[in-house]
Amino acid sequence: MRSKLLVFVSVLILASMVLSACQPAAATPETIVQTVVVEGEVREVVVTATPAAAQPEAKQPVLRVNLGSWPDIIDPQKSSFVNEIAHLKLIYEGLTKLDGQLNTVPGAAEKWEYNEDATELTFTLRKGLKYSDGTILNAKRFEYSILRNIDPATAGEYAAITDNIAGAVAWREADVANLSEEELQALKDGVEVKALDLNGNPCTDYEQEDCLILKVGLDGDPATPEREPAPFMHTVLSLWVTYPAKEELIAEGGDIWWTSSKYHIGNGPFIVKTLEPFVRGYFVPNPNYWAGVPTYDIEFSYITDSAVAFEAYKNNEFDIVPLVAEDLAVVQQDPVLSKEAQIYPGSCTFAFYMNQDKPPFDEKPVREAFAYGTNREAWVTDILQGLGSPTLTWIPKGFPGYDPNETRYGFDLEKAKEAIAKSSYGSFENLPPIKLTFSGTARNRTRFEWLAAQWSQNLGVKVELDPVEPTAYTALTKNRETLPQVFYLGWCADYPDPQNWLSVYWMSTSEFARRYGFANAEMDALMKKGDTTLDPQERLTYYDQAQKLLVDTAAVIFMVNNVNSYLVKPWVKGIVFTPQDAGWPGDVDPLSITIDTSMIP
Amino acid sequence: MGKYLIRRLLWLIPVIIVVSGITFILMHSAPGGPWDRDTTARQVDQNTQRILNEYYGLDKPLWRQYVAYVIGDFNKQGKFVCGLVCGNLGPSYRMRGLTIQQILFMPPEGKNFLYSRFGYSMRLGVFALLFAVAIGIPAGVIAALKQNTIIDYVSLFIVTIGISVPNFVMALFLIILFASTLKWVNIVPRSWDEVSVWVLPTVILGFGTMARTARLMRGSMLEVMRMDYIRTARSKGLAERVVVLRHMIKNSLIPVVTILGPALAALVTGSFIIETMFGFPGMGRAYVTAIGQRDYSMIMGTTLIYAVLIALANLSVDIVYSFLDPRIRLD
Repeated sequence: MRSKLLVFVSVLILASMVLSACQPAAATPETIVQTVVVEGEVREVVVTATPAAAQPEAKQPVLRVNLGSWPDIIDPQKSSFVNEIAHLKLIYEGLTKLDGQLNTVPGAAEKWEYNEDATELTFTLRKGLKYSDGTILNAKRFEYSILRNIDPATAGEYAAITDNIAGAVAWREADVANLSEEELQALKDGVEVKALDLNGNPCTDYEQEDCLILKVGLDGDPATPEREPAPFMHTVLSLWVTYPAKEELIAEGGDIWWTSSKYHIGNGPFIVKTLEPFVRGYFVPNPNYWAGVPTYDIEFSYITDSAVAFEAYKNNEFDIVPLVAEDLAVVQQDPVLSKEAQIYPGSCTFAFYMNQDKPPFDEKPVREAFAYGTNREAWVTDILQGLGSPTLTWIPKGFPGYDPNETRYGFDLEKAKEAIAKSSYGSFENLPPIKLTFSGTARNRTRFEWLAAQWSQNLGVKVELDPVEPTAYTALTKNRETLPQVFYLGWCADYPDPQNWLSVYWMSTSEFARRYGFANAEMDALMKKGDTTLDPQERLTYYDQAQKLLVDTAAVIFMVNNVNSYLVKPWVKGIVFTPQDAGWPGDVDPLSITIDTSMIP
Repeated sequence: MGKYLIRRLLWLIPVIIVVSGITFILMHSAPGGPWDRDTTARQVDQNTQRILNEYYGLDKPLWRQYVAYVIGDFNKQGKFVCGLVCGNLGPSYRMRGLTIQQILFMPPEGKNFLYSRFGYSMRLGVFALLFAVAIGIPAGVIAALKQNTIIDYVSLFIVTIGISVPNFVMALFLIILFASTLKWVNIVPRSWDEVSVWVLPTVILGFGTMARTARLMRGSMLEVMRMDYIRTARSKGLAERVVVLRHMIKNSLIPVVTILGPALAALVTGSFIIETMFGFPGMGRAYVTAIGQRDYSMIMGTTLIYAVLIALANLSVDIVYSFLDPRIRLD
């Protein structure tokens, strides 16, 4: 019996020794070096050692950013979330990009030109562009990446964003299962994206140095047989879906190529050195980046708990962290932290949607009454604690197409009563109970309870709260049949063009408008005019009229524009803040950022 | 013993089938699917959704999806893709390209299995259990031996804290104390190769189990201490040390071992709280987020791993019983 006990105790001790032995074994290697592009893999990979990767010990300041969530996928043609895009924007660059004022400026392409009727867009790439490994980057690479985005086999979540490329929709929506190889190839060939050399001949391969022209055929409205202009496409093609990941590396890495830093050979300002899931992403400057070489490394961390990230920031373990509403009061009362808070407009508009298929919101006066009866200012101060700005229109401040003069449907209880009097119900008391459906997170419960109380108090309506699990909520709001009576949604800009705010969303043929049963012929005509007019100023006037009509329909109760809010250490200088920042401030122009190491304690 | 083991292991098969069946029905009865994303994002368009559903076989009837998951199915090229029976836990719909077994068991570039998500969780879980046992059992024993003294009350106080304080509160408290104030450790671990960064997650993860172990051990000891055979042992002149170690502790361990098995299974499959707070790269987060994301294969995979681990832990507990109490026979 004693021997059995001894065996048991010995096994326990042995197990603890083995396990503790596991750990020191791991203590020696330096994690950064393990995944360097060149380490141990040279014989298999086409890439060569990069100068930056060869000098990992160089004294370089590190910008430490807490990005929040680890990305689900880091593939230019399959990614869709900001934390994914944040990685891609460091490693790659598109034909064009945005500047600090959200203007579209040259990226890998030094210039672009539309033909007379804006049905063709010609990019000219910079001469001598190189990938971070020193290999040539020519127009053929962009041809590949754009086609890969459209390819139904890729099935990227943002594939539809390049639908205004002529031939794209036919190939992307092809019934792949019932078409032959030849038929599919014909559809692919029908997509008008062609890489040409300087003499106008099709490029032969990825090594051709004078392959600098990319011609893209456009169609502003693929639903009609006529070719329509699409004068906004130079901005669309700045998006991550066109980033030129290398075909041969994608093939070599297979389905999981994007998980490995060695296959992410890009043309952006940084080289990814380490991708350690949930622990960190480490980036070093790309010495071959055409615009210059950043003077610092970037380290992304992935702490999702904002309270911990805030503590770590105070402990000088991060240089940049998102600032959340829960910490705002502490930050504002702290003399140091309050100076480090950066709060500036974001790229989203949030609104209450009213189901126009069902009573009582099938009547415009009822919708108007609720729009008048909703206090946005109080929502921002009481619920968002100031992290947001009330709005009465769709396109947010800072974006082309913003309407600063919109004042209709502001909070006014008298007008609310007048509006409801015009409806068939006559007064708020006669309305049926209103069911307010929302994504049932703990935070949302407080918010919507507040709103229900406001509507009850201000309008005297009976509001039934209907919290739904977040994914189920998304599913409900994606289907016209299951659309709730009143619900809360938002839209964030993909790119700063009114076409993205209006036509993509509110055109009666768009997926969004169809979901909500929204159709307005007059608006459709104006948006189409905006989409197809070449003169930038004239375009804006059409979109402006369309937006005014949208407000007039009282289809939704515009509520707030979000704000981007971060804490940034004072030694991080030169950040260009834009509403379109993806995951961290400054990603629009990382070259402008410097780190003053003398200030770091 | 051999026959018993084989019989118990064979029982795993119906267990897996039942668990997978129930999980499959439950997850598919929740509205929404893997392509229903955050409401502020541009949703996957209908056509892409159709392509993705076809690619992953989500357009097929549910019974066929289940058979495909468990046994396998022919893919578009007419090639048979073996399912769970071959150890294939299915494709992730979120981390596209990766299979569930790759996500959970594949280490990052240039590292070994211990650096996979399961490897990390396993290490932390075992450390947490060792912490719980190393502190919990002696604490329980001492509290029982010194019943109704200050030592007992202090021990009970700590145990009550361990059971009643949620671990995210304790995590934040310990972070503020040890990292922000005393600066003994970093809040954000730069490298999980350093021993010190494991201390806080281990203590926080193991604290609840430690408290439960101590409480159970104390109760069990108090019961055993009043047994006739203890009186007999003392009356025949055995040294107090021998009475406590050989007669009391050993006999008190049975209920403790009963909870330690499932506790180990729970600890090694990761903790959502620890992982979100420390950026710990384990598998607990995968389980929780997969449910919200409707990443069906991940839900199935993590549930089945958990079920198998629980079954194996219970089997180990039964085997340990036979060591602790010779009256228990396994055959």
